[in-house]
Amino acid sequence: MVLVLAIGDLHIPHRAPDLPAKFKSMLVPGKIQHILCTGNLCIKEVHDYLKSLCPDLHIARGEYDEDARYPENKTLTIGQFKLGLCHGHQIIPWGDLDSLAMLQRQLDVDILVTGHTHQFKAYKHEAGVVINPGSATGAYSSITYDVNPSFVLMDIDGLRVVVYVYELIDGEVKVDKIDFKKTANTQSAH
Amino acid sequence: MAKKGVPEWLNSSLWASSSSPPASASTTAAARLPRSPPSPNPQAPALSPIPEPRSPPCPNPQAPTRSPIPEPPPPPRPPQPPTEAPRPSVEAPPDDRSPSRLSQEEVSRQFQFLAEVVNIGELRKLASQGIPDGTGIRSIVWKLLLGYLPYDREFWMQELAKKRSQYKAFKEEFLMNPSEMARRMEESAGHKNEALETGGCGFLMRSEITHDEHPLSLGKTSVWNQFFQETEIIEQIERDVKRTHPDMQFFCGDSSLAKSNQEALRHILIIFAKLNPGIRYVQGMNEILAPLFYVFRNDPDQDNAAYAEADAFFCFVELLSGFRDNFCQKLDNSVVGIRSTISKLSELLKKHDGELWRHLEITTKVNPQFYAFRWITLLLTQEFNFVDSLHIWDALLSDPDGPQETLLRVCCAMLILVRKRLLAGDFTSNLKLLQNYPQTNINHLLYVANKLGGSSAG
Repeated sequence: MVLVLAIGDLHIPHRAPDLPAKFKSMLVPGKIQHILCTGNLCIKEVHDYLKSLCPDLHIARGEYDEDARYPENKTLTIGQFKLGLCHGHQIIPWGDLDSLAMLQRQLDVDILVTGHTHQFKAYKHEAGVVINPGSATGAYSSITYDVNPSFVLMDIDGLRVVVYVYELIDGEVKVDKIDFKKTANTQSAH
Repeated sequence: MAKKGVPEWLNSSLWASSSSPPASASTTAAARLPRSPPSPNPQAPALSPIPEPRSPPCPNPQAPTRSPIPEPPPPPRPPQPPTEAPRPSVEAPPDDRSPSRLSQEEVSRQFQFLAEVVNIGELRKLASQGIPDGTGIRSIVWKLLLGYLPYDREFWMQELAKKRSQYKAFKEEFLMNPSEMARRMEESAGHKNEALETGGCGFLMRSEITHDEHPLSLGKTSVWNQFFQETEIIEQIERDVKRTHPDMQFFCGDSSLAKSNQEALRHILIIFAKLNPGIRYVQGMNEILAPLFYVFRNDPDQDNAAYAEADAFFCFVELLSGFRDNFCQKLDNSVVGIRSTISKLSELLKKHDGELWRHLEITTKVNPQFYAFRWITLLLTQEFNFVDSLHIWDALLSDPDGPQETLLRVCCAMLILVRKRLLAGDFTSNLKLLQNYPQTNINHLLYVANKLGGSSAG
């Protein structure tokens, strides 16, 4: 039972001052084992805050991030799943699912976490699953102003993942979940 | 394993009871205990030359019939008519288990067990003198003394089965993590997400969650929230379990045996903490659990050993029920709390050895709390080596009124045995001595404790 937080596109301080209070009250240290951050934090203080939630923090570089040392892509293995992380501004057309699927095949991961569009998406194709946690602060994106704050928490348990989607709609936190299973691979391509 | 002649006390009047209901062992006695050798009278030191097999052919506990031993048994002995108690000879019903290494002392004790209904009074008296180590009967005796096994041997099977399945239910209820719980709830609600398992493409369907059941939930009723709140206690338990008896291979180390034992201890303590929200887990409970689990796990009966975890849980609950108040901080100053127990010890010492009491408490100002706290709350497990503490526990558990009385007497005896050194010492040396109690002859200690009990009339 591994809890993985997927969060990103906060754009603090340029486009938003802080996470919504309701999100902040839920995100307490000690519960989450890994954080995958899609990027565009943008400043070190946000990095430190995320680090306080969980020591295992992975960040991919977004175009507005002030720390230039974050990688463009990152892959890691959690349990039986391979996860990939990328901000997404590099993949054009932005948010295009086929292009993202190409990246996923390139990185050879089961779950690809990307951002940039500030819209939550969870999409499945033959190569795996693409998850976009949206923007946790509700910051406006290059495409639209109409953004609901959202993030994603994945519960990885063996071959099964339960994805909890947290959205702030009209001031209330709404939580949905998505279930999916991975078919066990006989060949392990590590 | 030939032994010397009959020990002196064996011929004492203890055995000379006129009525011999316990001696009327029946041939259909439950085969849970090692069978005795075919010695017609206790004087004959002849013992069964067969090296005792460690896995005795115990009948399948599920089968209510006591079938004869499947393995080739030693030459069947003729069941001897039960004799009067002074001759603690035993007949050997053919359906008993094969003999373990038995000595004459052990023979005398085991005849007690062959009765259909265990005479608990006699058993207590015998146990208070210590249970011999090699026989493997300690597990059964402790279970009887703690009231886990009923006195009537016929009900053992069903009681055990009942308790063990109850423990299994506890495990399922309390040891599941929230992911599994959520999954079970879903499956019972009949949700199926097959579409996601097939290779279909497309947007994944979102489904509603019920009752605020998500991992970051702050709701009081959320299983996730409760899970995280209990994490602290669980971490504490894990830390303590890892530190239990670090010198013993059984508990500590990298072997799979040690790991599985540690896990069993952990499970028991977690379930206890969840079932008792008032007292939860307090450091030290692991020390009280350790001897119980050790003894049950080393039961020569493989079946019992396999269920050691469940048995240890219930016996632990039973044992702790008398001592809960010691662990509850709020009760520290109350009549039932630890302070009052310590003052009882003080009174006891004053009564039996006024000079020592005066020297300790008034002259050198050694507050009994400094040493007796650990003695009492941990039932002397930390003061002696493991084997010795098992012997002491034999005596403690045999007390019909609960271990506390005997415990206080043993503590008092401990003080009296080192009185010379205490009287000669000052605060520092006395405290050092009492906090690192020197190794003593346990039998002597128990003997003195017994004498204290006998002489303290009223």
